[in-house]
Amino acid sequence: MNRFIAADSTLCIGCRTCEIACALAHDQSHDIESLTPSHFQPRLHLVRTFQVSAMATCHQCEDAPCLNACPTGAIFHDNQIIQVDQSRCIGCKNCVIACPFGAMEVVSHPARRVFAGIEMQNGVKAEAHKCDLCIDRAAGPACVQVCPTKALHVMDEEAIGETRRQRQQHSTLDSSTVRAVA
Amino acid sequence: MEKYISVCPYCGSGCKFNLLVENNKAVGVEPLNGVTNEGELCLKGYYGWDFLNDTKILTPRLRHPMLRRSRGAPFETVSWDEAIGFVASKLTNIKQKHGPDAIMMTGSSRGAGNEANFVAQKFARAVIGTNNVDNCARVCHAPSMSGMMATLGSGAMTNSVGELENTDCVLCFGYNAAESHPIVARRIVKAKQKGAKIITCDPRHIETARISDLWLPLKNGSNMALVNAFANVLITEGLYNRDYVASFTEGFDAYWDIVKTYTPELVEPITGLKAAQIREAMRMYAGAKNATILWGMGVTQWGQGVDVVKGLAGLALLTGNLGHLNAGIGPVRGQNNVQGACDMGALPDFFPGYQSIKKPEVREKFAKAWNVASLPDKVGFSLTDVPHAAIEGKLKAMYIMGEDPAQTEPDLDLVRKGFESLELIILQDIFMTKTAMFADVILPATSWGEHDGVFSSTDRGFQRFYKALKPTDDLKHDWEIHGLIATALGYPMKYTSTEEIWNELISLCPPFKGATYDKLAGLGYVQWPCPDVSHPGTKFLYTGNKFTTPSGKGQLIAAAWRPPLDKTDKNFPLVLCTVREVGHYSCRSMTGNCAALTTLADEPGYVTINPADAAELGVRDQALVWIASHRGKVMARANVTERTNKGAVYMTYQWWVGACNELTVHHVDPVSKTPEYKYSAVRVEAITDQIWAEAYVKDAYSKIKHSLAAAIPATAAAVSKALEPV
Repeated sequence: MNRFIAADSTLCIGCRTCEIACALAHDQSHDIESLTPSHFQPRLHLVRTFQVSAMATCHQCEDAPCLNACPTGAIFHDNQIIQVDQSRCIGCKNCVIACPFGAMEVVSHPARRVFAGIEMQNGVKAEAHKCDLCIDRAAGPACVQVCPTKALHVMDEEAIGETRRQRQQHSTLDSSTVRAVA
Repeated sequence: MEKYISVCPYCGSGCKFNLLVENNKAVGVEPLNGVTNEGELCLKGYYGWDFLNDTKILTPRLRHPMLRRSRGAPFETVSWDEAIGFVASKLTNIKQKHGPDAIMMTGSSRGAGNEANFVAQKFARAVIGTNNVDNCARVCHAPSMSGMMATLGSGAMTNSVGELENTDCVLCFGYNAAESHPIVARRIVKAKQKGAKIITCDPRHIETARISDLWLPLKNGSNMALVNAFANVLITEGLYNRDYVASFTEGFDAYWDIVKTYTPELVEPITGLKAAQIREAMRMYAGAKNATILWGMGVTQWGQGVDVVKGLAGLALLTGNLGHLNAGIGPVRGQNNVQGACDMGALPDFFPGYQSIKKPEVREKFAKAWNVASLPDKVGFSLTDVPHAAIEGKLKAMYIMGEDPAQTEPDLDLVRKGFESLELIILQDIFMTKTAMFADVILPATSWGEHDGVFSSTDRGFQRFYKALKPTDDLKHDWEIHGLIATALGYPMKYTSTEEIWNELISLCPPFKGATYDKLAGLGYVQWPCPDVSHPGTKFLYTGNKFTTPSGKGQLIAAAWRPPLDKTDKNFPLVLCTVREVGHYSCRSMTGNCAALTTLADEPGYVTINPADAAELGVRDQALVWIASHRGKVMARANVTERTNKGAVYMTYQWWVGACNELTVHHVDPVSKTPEYKYSAVRVEAITDQIWAEAYVKDAYSKIKHSLAAAIPATAAAVSKALEPV
């Protein structure tokens, strides 16, 4: 089973600490001073309605629509998550349209290449951004680490098993007094 | 990499972390297991430190003393000797000509620390000879102080932040913890997880309302009516603790005389709440074994703030929710050291340790310690008195430390007129601010991170923070600057460390006496009162239900509801209420210079509006709009949201272009003199040409930014170069 970040709306206070942590964790320089409105690309986003505050992010779907929609094979399944090989991304945005959670984002930046020792501009490079559970980060997902109310969790096989067990118990107990009419 | 223990310089939660430093540059923070934060931080704690590196995102750091010899002349960079000499001769002159009470001082509720505040008020009282010293508690929790001192005897949170998660009921009244104190909000969330009932009284559907068992969306401006109705229900339904009231309180009859008319049914038209909701809320509150009331600016920033605080204290007294663990009442402090600035006597009526200036024996004690013949006994001016006192010629000089009244006070046009009427404005700060533009002298101080000291967190907890960065050569500690001026004025004052100052102040303040530097070392946390070194400090006040009022009893005091001053009408049909947002702090001189925080929120700021009001005005979400009141007109971006109640709009007060305080009314509580930021009549106007409006915001923002940067001679050259056409 794929692991994913689960957001608990009852604990979220909408502070967006996780968004900054995510943007920084995925910034090559990891330098806070590099962040600007045009250079701020968190992979989870606060959604606010009258009744809900929660983070929207990738569910690491087992049969991932983004992966299925990718024409270049840039999106692949490895290490129990859905990952992107940015070198193969062409920025077609099929994945953005395919994702039912709005968790995919395509960004582009000026590309450079080096020719005869001189760095020069070479069109644009596109990247498909999605949650990668901070696989390269020793301390694990940055958003989970910083959330002050612990509203974010890594849901893995064990955690989802425990959640199911609890739900089964609750629903069974709740319905134990209900008798079938037939 | 080096690590230095620090306390977050933003809200009053008192979160501890290590400030990480490399080559005298701040590079990050690492949360510590502090008493209030337990290893957690919010976004300001994690990502609010890069202003220390002088990012110049918003404004440049002040690095050298500057003065201007006439109003309107450009600032000149001068030596400290010249700046101190200039200040001393001007102050001497004004004092001789107009007396000491023509000079006003401020403490700083922000990064300066307790020691700096102690020295600032000592400077006012012993050197200048006036009680004209105040801090920005005036515009936030001064009503809590007045109201709680009258009813219980002490103006601070009765219980501790950590106790919140173990209470059985949290009543949040005019308190948006998620935006103001995420680390306190965390405790409310934990309380809910542990089964506590949550009641939220707020016109908006704030984060806490989402997890509340009861949400009471009262009409803006009806606090007193609701609190009185709460008391009415507690008494008429027999929900109050008769034994407790009989044994530990006074004034029940006079109290009942007022609240008896405030039946929930009768206040329905004032509060907009169904009587049943009000009754249910009190059944829930009184039914809890231990219940806690928390409030914020939604209670205090009114023309009737003190009375409402007394009313909330009354609810706790009626139900016996005081004097024990996991209960109590809590005015949660907004700035990291606003509790401390009050503790240190940066107040016009109290010496440090809340010792009244009216008591001859207290004045004598301080006069003796400070080696002066006598100390003044006349209550000084409050911060909010300044504009009128200046215009009337009663005040001639103002010495501001680490505050930006030209951004944060109500009715900014009046503030500017007040400033223009003053002969001398001295500003001691770390960044160029709007207030700095009015100053005659600018004295650059070290910042949080560059000095050490003690802060008081919201629950009376003293904590030490350590110097992490070596300040540049021309910066001086706040207390060092006061010392130099005092010496130039003929009162030799030379401290060599904050510990020396701390030792002097705890020796003069019985409730702080045992909180020594040694005891506060590292993660040490001592809550006052702490009368001697062997005392562990006080988690909750009023053990044994002994109150610190003159009679030792809790005072039940009620007042009739008064409507807000400003009136909505056909021209100004909406209520403007000023609020906080989580990513920025105070006037934003610090957070505005932080890359991550500015990335999340920048000019012109939002005005939140209900979809029904927006539709009626033809305002789209995210569109720029005008907001106008009798006093001014500003532009902000509409945030159309159902969380905002119909008939009211909300703005945060740190923006320059969307400066809501251009619109707010200067109407203050008669006792605490705290302004009614929460209720000004305004209108919102849609703007047809959004492209023009976007350009207007960009232009206005860059003009203010550049004028502030260009005022500093050292950066002016760089600014004018940047402005040259490419």
